[in-house]
Amino acid sequence: MPQLTAIITGASEGLGKAFAIELAKRGHNLVLLSLPNTGLGNLAAYLQKTFDVKADILELDLTAAGSAEQIFTYLSKQKLTAHILINNAGIGNWDWFTDNSIAFYKKQIDLNITTPVLLTRLFLGQADTAVTSYILNVGSLGGLFVVPKKQVYGASKSFMRYFTRCMQLELTGTNVKMSLLSPGGINTRPEIILMNQKLKGIAKATIFEADEVARIAIDGMFKGKKEIIPGAANKLLVFLNSFLPGFVKDAIIKGKLKDHA
Amino acid sequence: MNILVTGATGFIGRQLCLVLAQKGYQVKAFCRNVNHPYLADHPNIEPVKGDILDPYSLLKAMQGCQQVYHTAAMAKMWCRNPNEFTETNVTGTRNVLETAKQAGVKRIVYTSTCGVWGPTLKHPMTEDDPRVVGFQIAYERTKYFAELEVNKFVQQGMDVVTVNPSRVFGEGPITDSNTVSKMISGYLKGKWRIIPGDGGQISNYAYLNDVVNGHIAAMEKGITGNRYILGGEDKSFNEFFETLEGLSGVHHKMVRLPQKVIKFYSRFEALKTKLTGLAPVFLPEFADRLLLNQKYSSQKATKQLDYKITPFADAMRKTIAYLKAH
Repeated sequence: MPQLTAIITGASEGLGKAFAIELAKRGHNLVLLSLPNTGLGNLAAYLQKTFDVKADILELDLTAAGSAEQIFTYLSKQKLTAHILINNAGIGNWDWFTDNSIAFYKKQIDLNITTPVLLTRLFLGQADTAVTSYILNVGSLGGLFVVPKKQVYGASKSFMRYFTRCMQLELTGTNVKMSLLSPGGINTRPEIILMNQKLKGIAKATIFEADEVARIAIDGMFKGKKEIIPGAANKLLVFLNSFLPGFVKDAIIKGKLKDHA
Repeated sequence: MNILVTGATGFIGRQLCLVLAQKGYQVKAFCRNVNHPYLADHPNIEPVKGDILDPYSLLKAMQGCQQVYHTAAMAKMWCRNPNEFTETNVTGTRNVLETAKQAGVKRIVYTSTCGVWGPTLKHPMTEDDPRVVGFQIAYERTKYFAELEVNKFVQQGMDVVTVNPSRVFGEGPITDSNTVSKMISGYLKGKWRIIPGDGGQISNYAYLNDVVNGHIAAMEKGITGNRYILGGEDKSFNEFFETLEGLSGVHHKMVRLPQKVIKFYSRFEALKTKLTGLAPVFLPEFADRLLLNQKYSSQKATKQLDYKITPFADAMRKTIAYLKAH
C-alpha cells in the first residue's frame, strides 16, 4: 500500500488518538485536529520520532464558522492531498433533554453532524481519483437503538448512519470507499472508564479498549467494509435488534433506565 | 523541619523515611500499623498511626509538617475487592492533597509510576509522550486517575511535584508489590526458574537508593506540576538473569515459557480467581504486557534534578548481597 495522508478529527485523546497511533504504525502521514491545549503537539512529536511519519497538527474549534474551509486551505498551501478522512470528533451526552442548554445542543449538532458533512464535501473535492480514498465515519451502536438520555447524541449518530448509507450508494463505482464504525462502549475518557468499570456480564463484553477498536476499524476501512462492528457481543446485539419486536426492545431499555434513575 | 511520609512501611517509603531521618529531618512515618515489621527504626522517625482513607487521621498527623511525601498506594497485581485500587490510589491521594491544603503544607512530592505510560513502541518513553494502549491493568488505571487529581490541586495553586519510578529493586524487604526482589530472591533460592517469552522483553529497572534520592531531589528542585521519570537501565529478561547468574554465582537451568502458554495459563488463573476468590498467580492483562517492552528515559530528572543512576550490575550486586544475608 502506498503511503497515504489521513485527516483525523478529535485526535488528542480517546479513539482519535488511537486512530492516529494505528495509522502511524502502518506508515501513513497524519493531519491531526483538535482543540488548542490538548497535548496534540506532544502526540505528533511522539508519532514522528517513533514511526518516521509526517504528522501535521491544526488546533482549532471545528464548530467555529469557517474552520472546515481553513483545514483544506492549509492542506492546499502545504501541497498536501488527503487520502483518508476520519470523522471522529463528537460530543456525547447522558442527561434528560431539559437538563442541557440550547448552547450545548447547538455545539453538539455542529460537531456531530455539520462538521463531518462539510469535511466530507471538501475532502471529496480535493481527492486524487488515481488512488483509492477512504472515509471513516464514527457512528455508534447508539445510532441503532433508541436510548433515553441520549436523545440528541443518538439522533446525530442515526444521521451519520443514513448519511453513510446514502453516500455509499452515490460513491459506487468511484475510487472512494466510505465506512461506518458502530462501536459499543469504549474506554476513552476517565469518567467513561469509571462508568464502564461498573458494568457486568454481556454489558461488560460490549466494552473495548480504544486501541483495539482503532485496529479493527482501520482494517475494516481499508477492506472497504460498509459497516464495522467491533466485537462478538456487539454483533450479537445488532443481530438480535433485526428481529426483536419493538415492544421487547422498549421494555429492555426502560428496565435499564430504572437502574440509572 | 517536620516531614510526613505516607506508605512508610512500603518498599520506597521505608527507605525514604530512613534517609530523611539520617539527614536530620523529623520524620512522621504514617502507617496503618505502628508495629509493622518493615517500619524503619531511627531516633528521628516517629511512627504515626493513621489511614489515608481517614482524612481526620491525616489532618492530625500533618499538623506542623512543612513537607509531605505521598508514597502510599495499592500496588499489588490483584485485590479481592477491585474497588480497593480506586479507593487507595485515587480517593487516598485526593485525601492527602486536600488535607495538606488545610494543614498548610508547603510542598508535596507524589509518587506515581511509569505504569501511567505503560508499554513502549520504539524509543524509551519520556514525560511528554502519550500513553499508547488502554488501561487494562487496575494499578496503572488508578494511578493515572490519581495524577489527574494531582493536576486539579496544582491548578488550584498547590505545590506538588510528581515522580514516576519504573520497576524498583534494591536492599529492602520483599513486599507484596515488589516483583523484582521476588524474582531475584526466588532465583537465589532456586524457586524461580522461568524466563517469560523468549527473554527478549525489555523493562526498566531502577535502584531503590537512586529512587529515594530522586524523591528528595524532586522536593528540593522539582518544578511545580511537573513529572519526573525515576528509572534505571533498560534490560531484557535474558540480560537480567545473566547478570544475576554471573554476580551471584548461583546457576540454574532456566525454562523459557512462551507468551502464549503464559496467556493460556493466565486465563485459567483468572477463571479460578473468579470462581474461588483465591489470589491469582498471574492475570491475562499482565500476560499481554509480556509482548511489549517498557523502556523509560530518566533524562529530564538527570538534567533538572541531578538524578544519578547506579549501574545495573552494581545495584544487582548490592541487592544480591542483601537478600543472601536476610
